[in-house]
Amino acid sequence: MKRSHRSAVFAGALLALAAWLIAETVVVKVQTTSLRKDPKFYAAAIAALKAGDALEKLSSQGGWVQVKTSSGVVGWVHSSAVETKKFNLMSVGGTMKTQASANEVALAGKGFNKQVEDSYKSKHAGADFAAVDRMLKIAVSPAEVEAFVKKGKLAGSGGGK
Amino acid sequence: MKALRFGSVVVAAALASLVLSQCSVVQQGAKILGDTGQISEKDRDSIVKTSEAVRSTFSEITEQEEYYIGRAVSALILSRYKANTNDALTDYVNVCGKTISYSSDRPETYGGYHFLVLDTDEINALAAPGGFVFVTKGLLKRCKDEEMLASILAHEIGHVASKHGLQSIKKSRLVDAFKVLGKEAATRYGSKELAELTGIFENVLGDIVESLVEKGYDRKYEYEADKLAVKYATATGYDPNGLGRFLKTMTGGPGAGGAKGWFKTHPSAEDRLDKVNSQIKGMGTVPKTLDVRTARFLQAAKGLRP
Repeated sequence: MKRSHRSAVFAGALLALAAWLIAETVVVKVQTTSLRKDPKFYAAAIAALKAGDALEKLSSQGGWVQVKTSSGVVGWVHSSAVETKKFNLMSVGGTMKTQASANEVALAGKGFNKQVEDSYKSKHAGADFAAVDRMLKIAVSPAEVEAFVKKGKLAGSGGGK
Repeated sequence: MKALRFGSVVVAAALASLVLSQCSVVQQGAKILGDTGQISEKDRDSIVKTSEAVRSTFSEITEQEEYYIGRAVSALILSRYKANTNDALTDYVNVCGKTISYSSDRPETYGGYHFLVLDTDEINALAAPGGFVFVTKGLLKRCKDEEMLASILAHEIGHVASKHGLQSIKKSRLVDAFKVLGKEAATRYGSKELAELTGIFENVLGDIVESLVEKGYDRKYEYEADKLAVKYATATGYDPNGLGRFLKTMTGGPGAGGAKGWFKTHPSAEDRLDKVNSQIKGMGTVPKTLDVRTARFLQAAKGLRP
C-alpha cells in the first residue's frame, strides 16, 4: 500500500520532470499583440494577447514563434513580442536565488512604471503627457499596411524578420 | 552507491519541481502558470523581493520601463514642439513608418510604433525609446518623394531597434535605480522609494533629451542607424538611395539659419553620404523609386508647400 503510493508519487514526479524538459514557455512582453494564424503580420488574428501571458513554444520560423495559449489555441507571435529567455527554475521560494533578472522584474511590473510617471508628472506640469496619449491613439492596422504595400508596389511580405 | 545517490537526486529534483510548480513562479511549462496563463499577485511580490541589483546595464531595462521612459521623453519633446494637425499627413507618415517597422529587427515594442509630425520649420527627426518617432514639417519639406521620407523613418526605427536612446543613459543612473528597485517588495512604492526613483527618472530623461536634442548621439550610433535605414528600406521594397538623396540636400551645412536641430545633433552629411553610398554599392541590385509612391507622397505633403 505504502509502496504503491510512493511509486505513484515517483511516477508523478518523473512526469513533471519530463514536462519541464519538453515544454518551453515564452512570455508576452509587449502591452498587447495578436496571436496570428500564419507567421506574418497580415495574417488573421486568432486571439488577443497581453503582457505577461505565458505561451507554450511549439516551433520557430524566420523570426516567428509558433505557440499554444493556455486555452489551447495554436498560432504565431513575432519573436520581438515575447521573452524567449529561460527563467531561473529555482527562483522563487527556493534558497538558491537571491537576485531577480530583468525578465522577472518585467513580469512584476516594477521599475519605472505608472506610479513613477504620475509622481514625475506632478512635479513637471510642462511635460505634455496629454499629447503623448493622443499620439498613442494613432493606430495602423496590418490591413492598412497591406493595402499601402500593395498600392505602392512595395516588397514587404508582412513577414517581419 | 554512487548510482543510488544520483537516483535520489533525480527524484528529489523531480519532487522539487512538482512542489515548485504548484506554489511558485517556475516559468517552465505553461500549465505551471495556472488556468489564467498569468502569474498571480502573490508571485509577483515574491519575485520582487528577490530583485536585488542584478540588473546593471541598459539592456536590462525592461520593455515596460522603456515605454515609460519613452513616454516621458516624448512629453518633453511635445512641450517644446506642437504636433502638426494635418490628420491625413499624420496617417500617411504612420502607415509608411509602420510598414518599415515590419521589416526591421524589432517590429514590436511594448507600446508599438507611433509617428508624429512636429509643426516647426526646423529640420529634424528624433525617436524616443520604445518607438515614439518625430519628424518635423521642415524635414518633410526637404523630402521630394516617399523614398526620402521612408529612409528617415527607417533611420529612426533603427535607433529604436538598437536602443540607442537607452544607451545614452549614464550607467550610474541605472545602478542607482536598480538599487532602489531591489529594496522594495510591495507592488506600489512607498513615498521614500518613490521620491528616490522619481529623482533618478528625471536624470534618466535628462541624459536622453540631452542626446536627442542638444548634443546628438555618439557618431557611431548615427552611422549604425544609417546602415539599418538602408537595410530596412530595401527590405521594405524602397530604393535605399532615398537616404543618399536626403543627405545630399543637407550637405554644405545649415547655412544662414545656424546649427539647429539636425545640424547640431548629427555628423556631417558628407561623411554619412560616403558611407551610405558605399554600402548601397555593395548590395548589387536594389529597388527603384516608383512614380506611384512619389505621387502619393506629394499628395500627402501638399499642404506643406506654399
